[in-house]
Amino acid sequence: MGFRWDGLAVARVVEKRLLALQSRSRGSRSAGGPPVLDWRHPPIPKVVPLPLKSAADPLKALAFIAAALACGALANGWAAPDRKLAWRGWTPSPETVQAPAILAPPAPAPEAPVPAPGPVKAVPPTRPRPEPGPIPARNSPGQPPPVPVPSQPSRPATASSLFPPSPASVVRDISSGEAYQAFQLKVPFLDARRSSDFAEGHIPGAWNAPVWEADLERRLIEFEAAANPGLQAPIGIYCTGGGCEDSRLLARKLVDLGYRNLLIYRDGFPDWVAKGRPQATGAHP
Amino acid sequence: MTRGWLIHPWLTVRAQIVLGAVFVAAALPKIADPPGFAEAIWNYQLAPPWLVHPAALTLPWLELLCGLALCLGLWTRAAAAWVSTLLLVFLAALSLNLARHHPVDCGCFQTQATARSADDRLADMRWAILRDLGLLILGGQILLATRRKPQP
Repeated sequence: MGFRWDGLAVARVVEKRLLALQSRSRGSRSAGGPPVLDWRHPPIPKVVPLPLKSAADPLKALAFIAAALACGALANGWAAPDRKLAWRGWTPSPETVQAPAILAPPAPAPEAPVPAPGPVKAVPPTRPRPEPGPIPARNSPGQPPPVPVPSQPSRPATASSLFPPSPASVVRDISSGEAYQAFQLKVPFLDARRSSDFAEGHIPGAWNAPVWEADLERRLIEFEAAANPGLQAPIGIYCTGGGCEDSRLLARKLVDLGYRNLLIYRDGFPDWVAKGRPQATGAHP
Repeated sequence: MTRGWLIHPWLTVRAQIVLGAVFVAAALPKIADPPGFAEAIWNYQLAPPWLVHPAALTLPWLELLCGLALCLGLWTRAAAAWVSTLLLVFLAALSLNLARHHPVDCGCFQTQATARSADDRLADMRWAILRDLGLLILGGQILLATRRKPQP
């Protein structure tokens, strides 16, 4: 004879017990006896006694902000690199990145034989074509590289000839077609979006420089070491287009580093995808 | 009579739980992604540049701690004061940007920028202002109910 679970009988017992509890509670309330648990109307729990119950509210408010600061510091210390934020980050005021014309500092005159203003680069800004010789060869990746004859008027368009540096506008917007042209001419591109977005898809050969992540400086150094762009050489920058300001923030940063020919692909990566252009994935160019 | 109903403990406990839960829910995505929240703050174009990063690292934790305190009934008055202050700041930021017709992503419950039109963003900002006003009323109720009576 085995055990048989009778759910109905158990439910009846529970109901009976609850009804008894309820009637006892009513009776005790009317009799003024000690309070018992009323399962339908539970009493509002009392506030847990605090260690600093007697402390004044301003002190407690200060304790909240101190705890928040401590938690923020700890969490940021342990965060993954793409989730880390520098406490003293580089964030220019919005007004300085709104209008590209404001970005242009007094550029050195093209005839002046002074060295580059930025101490980072050794290439002087007066150099008409700062990129070394292989630029014409980059023009047609599928074909054999043409013979570099700089003085020939019929030579193929280069990145520097198509996007010459202009002292009037060191940062300028380029259209979708110009961006593709720059891509074909192997103009180096910088992707200002977050590193997670970059890993999902980016322009082939583009370098990730997320302006809001803590390792922006390191990424820019890596970019300069690998791509070795001249200060006057064109550099493409893009983010998500539309209202995205990250490209302009990054352009501002590059202007501070001495670069003087920055092209902002204003429609950004969504337009690149919409046009069905080649993409690459992963964390590296 | 009305005043007694307004500061009734039954109402206060529920206001604490609702307000606390909203702030905990709002804090978690920001804690998970401080760079995204910093960008959201910067997009408002109100905070001075030196304040953007410290605010992005501290504010979400302040929201979380105050939200938890409200839910658990600990240091209720101080937590409600902070929450109400934060709500006033959010309201001012949203209203100023709405007034100057500058659409921003709220950054209230998510930090990723969304691809939406300016009109959609402005409409969302109006709803966010209404929501913050409602939450501010809850904060005011808690502050009113937990007000200490002056000692005779």
